[in-house]
Amino acid sequence: MTCREFVEAAESLTPVQLRLMQNEDEVALAHARECATCGEWLQSQKLLGGALQVLRTDTAQCEAGPQVEQAVLRAFRMQGFEPAVDERPERAAPAAWKLSRFFELGAYAAVAAALIVGIFLGARVWRDRQSTPVRAQLPAATVVQPDNSEKTALNGNSKPSDGGQLEMARGSANGATAKSVVSSAKRPHGVREVATAAAVDRQGFVALMFCDPLICSGEEEVIRMELPGSASSADGSQPVVADVIVGEDGLVRAMRIVN
Amino acid sequence: MLNEQTDEQLLAMALDGNEDAFTALYRRRQAPVYRFALHMSGSPQVAEEVTQDVFLFLLQRGRGFDPARGAVGAYLFGVARNYVRRAMEKSHSEAIMTTPAEDDDPSLVTNCDPVDGIARSQTSRAVRKAVLSLPEHYREAVVLCDLQELSYADAAEALGCAIGTIRSRLHRAHEMLVRKLQSSAPARAGFSSDAARCLS
Repeated sequence: MTCREFVEAAESLTPVQLRLMQNEDEVALAHARECATCGEWLQSQKLLGGALQVLRTDTAQCEAGPQVEQAVLRAFRMQGFEPAVDERPERAAPAAWKLSRFFELGAYAAVAAALIVGIFLGARVWRDRQSTPVRAQLPAATVVQPDNSEKTALNGNSKPSDGGQLEMARGSANGATAKSVVSSAKRPHGVREVATAAAVDRQGFVALMFCDPLICSGEEEVIRMELPGSASSADGSQPVVADVIVGEDGLVRAMRIVN
Repeated sequence: MLNEQTDEQLLAMALDGNEDAFTALYRRRQAPVYRFALHMSGSPQVAEEVTQDVFLFLLQRGRGFDPARGAVGAYLFGVARNYVRRAMEKSHSEAIMTTPAEDDDPSLVTNCDPVDGIARSQTSRAVRKAVLSLPEHYREAVVLCDLQELSYADAAEALGCAIGTIRSRLHRAHEMLVRKLQSSAPARAGFSSDAARCLS
């Protein structure tokens, strides 16, 4: 046994226990006999244990005087104690209160969660409505914003309005150069409903594809396009002017031949 | 009948207004509380005050005792510890400890055999002074474990710390006690400085 092992073993014992240690731990005692330092330490701990034992024995009979007991008992008698029978229901009440409190807190949490979800969804819808509609990614056509072209388009006027911006775009269709005069205008919701409700509406728009009203939410644009003459089967000499309704997703909903 | 009840049962009965139960609990627990306060403060007056305050506290706040957190005995030691601390702050216990008249306090010295009694009382007085001169947290560990013979677990419960903390405090306190006893009466006690050095 090393000195460190000896100290570790001895540390688990109090000085009184060390003092009473006889032959239970022969290894430790043998080390204490061999090692002078550990022997002295053990001796000092035994002496300390003996001294503490003396102090403990001397004060073993010490206790508070009778006046303390009288004072405490007097205080006990002055203390108002409620009968134990009356306390039983009171003890049950807090448990019920705690239960109802638990459900109340749960209800508060649910309402708060619903409010948070509602606010989140409302903000998202509001943001979607504020965002710019997706422009149609039509080939050989550039979207422009005329100021009064919607009225013109809806009235069937083949000429683009003076105030509308016109832009020539180059594109290829079937290998030929195509000229497109494009004008676009915001189309009110009423037009969308007419266009999607019937195959041909009063303004002459022909629905090009099946359109679910739920999908076709939002605003559409009316775009006037000039198709190359080769696209027309009737007369290939003159370009064909057509109005198309483009949804905010960029897909064409309906089309009307102007000339 | 009441003597067979546990401390927890007696406390519950006492708080329901049973005076006999309270008396039984007081008589069972007052002496350890008193001795703890006596060893901590060195003053029988402070010890009596603390004992009274501890049981008055038990009357007023006893319903706050939680059996799951420990035994009544450890709870009382914890309360006593706080009252001792307050009393010592109030009365400047350092002055009390060094009062010459207090060394001859009859409550701390027994006179049994006149021949052996002198050496015994000298030893007791020297150890008492050494214990009282320890820092408070070391003194608490020595008083509870060495003088009140509480287990490390019960002492840790009373002082609100880990068992390892109690061990280390005791180790350090014993080292300090050996040194103090060496300096006070090395020839009589037989303490050597090498022994203290071995620990450090």
